[in-house]
Amino acid sequence: MDTSTVNLILKTLHYLFFIYAFSAILSYIILSIISGKETINYLKKKSFVNYKDILSSTMSPSITIIAPAYNESLNVVENVRSLLSNHYVNYDVIIVNDGSKDDSLEKLIEAYDLEKIDYIINEKIKTQPIRSGVFKSKNPAFEKLMVVDKENGGKADALNMGLNISTSKYVACIDVDCLLIEDALQKMIKPFLDVTNAQVIATGGVIRIANSCVIKGGKLIDVNLPNNLLIQSQILEYLRAFLLGRMAWSRLNGLLVISGAFGIFDKKIAIDVGGYDTNTVGEDMEIIVRMRRYMEEQGRKYRVTYIPDPLCWTEAPDNYKIFISQRNRWTRGTIETLRKHRKIGFNPKYGSFGLLSYPYWLIFERLAPIIEVVGILYFVVLIVLREVRWEYAFTFIVLAYLFSVLFSIVALYSEELTFHQYKKKGTGYKLVLLSALEPFVLHPFILYAAIRGNIDYYFNKNKKWGEMKRKGFTTEGA
Amino acid sequence: MIDYQYLIDYFEEFPFLVQLVWRISGVLFLAIVLLTIYLKAIRYKLRKKENEHVTFKKEYEALLVEYLYAESEDEQVSTEQQSIILKLKNHLPIKYKRKMIISVLYNLMNEVSGEMAESIKTLYYKTGLIDYALKRLKNKNWYVIAKGIGELRRFKIEEAHGAVIKFIKHPKNEVRKETQLYLVNLFRFEGLSFLDDLETPLSEWAQLQLLEVLQKFDDQQICDIKPWLKSNNNTVVLFALKLAQIYNQFEVKDILIDLLSHKEKEIRICVIEVLTNMYGIEAKEILKTNFNELSIEEQLSFFGLLENLVVPSDEPFIEKHIFHKNFEIQLLALKILKTINIDKFMGLDKLPSNKEVPEMFNLVNNV
Amino acid sequence: MNKHKIVIAEDNSTLSLLLKFRLEKEGYELLMAVDGKEAIELIENGNPDLIITDIMMPFVSGLEVISHVRNKLELEIPIIVFSAAGQEEMVLKAFSLGANDFMGKPFSPNELVIRVKRLLS
Repeated sequence: MDTSTVNLILKTLHYLFFIYAFSAILSYIILSIISGKETINYLKKKSFVNYKDILSSTMSPSITIIAPAYNESLNVVENVRSLLSNHYVNYDVIIVNDGSKDDSLEKLIEAYDLEKIDYIINEKIKTQPIRSGVFKSKNPAFEKLMVVDKENGGKADALNMGLNISTSKYVACIDVDCLLIEDALQKMIKPFLDVTNAQVIATGGVIRIANSCVIKGGKLIDVNLPNNLLIQSQILEYLRAFLLGRMAWSRLNGLLVISGAFGIFDKKIAIDVGGYDTNTVGEDMEIIVRMRRYMEEQGRKYRVTYIPDPLCWTEAPDNYKIFISQRNRWTRGTIETLRKHRKIGFNPKYGSFGLLSYPYWLIFERLAPIIEVVGILYFVVLIVLREVRWEYAFTFIVLAYLFSVLFSIVALYSEELTFHQYKKKGTGYKLVLLSALEPFVLHPFILYAAIRGNIDYYFNKNKKWGEMKRKGFTTEGA
Repeated sequence: MIDYQYLIDYFEEFPFLVQLVWRISGVLFLAIVLLTIYLKAIRYKLRKKENEHVTFKKEYEALLVEYLYAESEDEQVSTEQQSIILKLKNHLPIKYKRKMIISVLYNLMNEVSGEMAESIKTLYYKTGLIDYALKRLKNKNWYVIAKGIGELRRFKIEEAHGAVIKFIKHPKNEVRKETQLYLVNLFRFEGLSFLDDLETPLSEWAQLQLLEVLQKFDDQQICDIKPWLKSNNNTVVLFALKLAQIYNQFEVKDILIDLLSHKEKEIRICVIEVLTNMYGIEAKEILKTNFNELSIEEQLSFFGLLENLVVPSDEPFIEKHIFHKNFEIQLLALKILKTINIDKFMGLDKLPSNKEVPEMFNLVNNV
Repeated sequence: MNKHKIVIAEDNSTLSLLLKFRLEKEGYELLMAVDGKEAIELIENGNPDLIITDIMMPFVSGLEVISHVRNKLELEIPIIVFSAAGQEEMVLKAFSLGANDFMGKPFSPNELVIRVKRLLS
């Protein structure tokens, strides 16, 4: 192979990198613009809605909150209390104690006056069996609560049991330590009732980061920006993803993910597709893809919607080890889901789902870390070989950095105009500074975690869910 | 000491692409700086607005309370009230102050009844707020119109009926919804006349809101819902069914029985549920005869009806279905059997045929 | 000079102000709270003769206030509850917890004054 062919190959590679980077940036710009328009539209519509009406309506549809719990003993009583104090009328709560080895069950029994009841489960989806039993409260104040103690089977399995038991039309799948705002259910159920030209099969919510926020008695009192740089960066990242990304995908009906921490589903469809997949670590993404696929294959008009209001607050990892473990798991989940449903990719039979959403996720989410790492390695090789054209390299690096900062600031700007959660003085500066630092504080670790995820997926089949050390909510602003 | 000329020359020597990218970077940098400044400005503005919000709210609340208790003996507007009206009038041109005043007035109007509510409404008129609301109806933006209608609804401005009703067929859903809510809030059941020729779908959300409004009124003089049950618009039929159930419209039972063969499954299921609440025993025989042609959901709904309206003569039918393949139906069948013929129910325990019976049997037995 | 003390727990600030004004005119001393937690503090420290509370309040609800007063503090202070329309279940719960009277919203402030006078006589 002579040098001209090598040069040709190298040149093609260069062009491919640039095309990739360029299209990635272009896609972010387009998504941001669509998100912006959709957010404005949403805010306009929202100003009319009187959510209080549906509060007291006994004809409002029934919702079951399913919250799997594993070794959550530290906070489980408080968390359940918070879930029980939602302002919606027609709902109930099922806590699925997934074979916890601690005293979660005992604590709940004591706090809520629970007694074991006879119950037979309609096993529409196969799950791990019951362990200690099904419990309800003797106290009428807690009649909305049911606790199910079963053998360990993982989060997906626990959710499936919840699906089996629930008699409601809709289910809200939530992490038990998520703080739900009082009118969360009203807001989230609206798309199901308001869209008339299609069937809404699922609605996703926004996850806000609760670290350093003041929470008392299960209610959010004060929002603070934590001092931890890692957590701050995650906040920024979530703002970008939710405000600039998901709004757009919701508009394009291309949402592939509903956060596992909070989402509402049409129960019948979730069961019809077979419930959550217990063999994947990304069960929240996988079930949405499967539900969408089901509706596409049936030729039924459907939508997956998304509510941008801050309705659900949860803890984010505060140290790098857990953070990397979390992102590693997300990566493997994405790979598993995309592989399992690869039939959809580029398949016109699945409409925009197959021709837009899937390819986008494949190319810009799943493959991005790999391409980036290959690019970096290539760059390093070039440095070693002294082939680097520094004027090019430097300028493009600066450009990429500035784009990243710009997107972050646009995200902050959107946040101010919409929900304005971080009101305290001085937070503005911190967030802007964060935009400049975040590419260094967060991105390399995400990249590392993603690569580890890929390696673990292909070569290390033993990894499963990591443990997230429960720190509990602080009662003082940190 | 930077030699600018040197830098510019250096820059000019770069290949075109690099120059272009540097220029773009420059633009981006500028954008970032501008946005940052703008961001800071917004945050400052928002903070200031919130503080003013609090101050003005207190001021307006005090004015309103003063106004309400400054009533003179002869029901004429007293001098104190006059001065308050004037004060408020002066604040109206500023949009956020106007919004605040409206919100304060409305918050109170919602909570108090009788004379006091009337007083607040008079204040709404006298300050000229009504003119602002009516002006909004003439705006070309849909959300301004919708907000205007909403305001007129909240303050129950009946005179605006003529202006508002024009929007009942507006292309934008939100405007139509606000118009519907206005009509029902002010004219109660008469306001529902738009259902007669409604062609657009009435979403579940809208239905619930309308029902909530109707339930707030004490006089339950419901109008004739028969035409709506026969509507071509399925959502109107569903809404009428809800009305039939809530207001116990026994007169329409015959139409409901006809609706059991409506082509839309959702309606059929809903009808069975409504009939359950209405003691629609006539429906029983029809549904029993057609049982096997019914969808699972309808069958389940029918068993719900049976549970409430069962009589001993239904026993053979129940018996036929205690081994129904659907879990919930089977459970209901067993429960019903237990209530009408406890001996036969206990006898099931001895049957060797179906293994599943014991579990469910125990559950029903212990309930 | 024995002014009766009333604690009002109501999160609607306009309504609060209105009631304060009206009841002060009748010669009562008013302690205002915007949520259940504040109300409980005022009750514990202020020794009121009457409590008026809304049911739906942020943070700590009116029902919890009643429960706290009757069960925890074991006081017999008369309690009037407000409720929005369509909350019969809540009203029943309030009575079973020990409330003395209730007024549905929207209500007439004059009637409230009559009931207050009745309960305090």
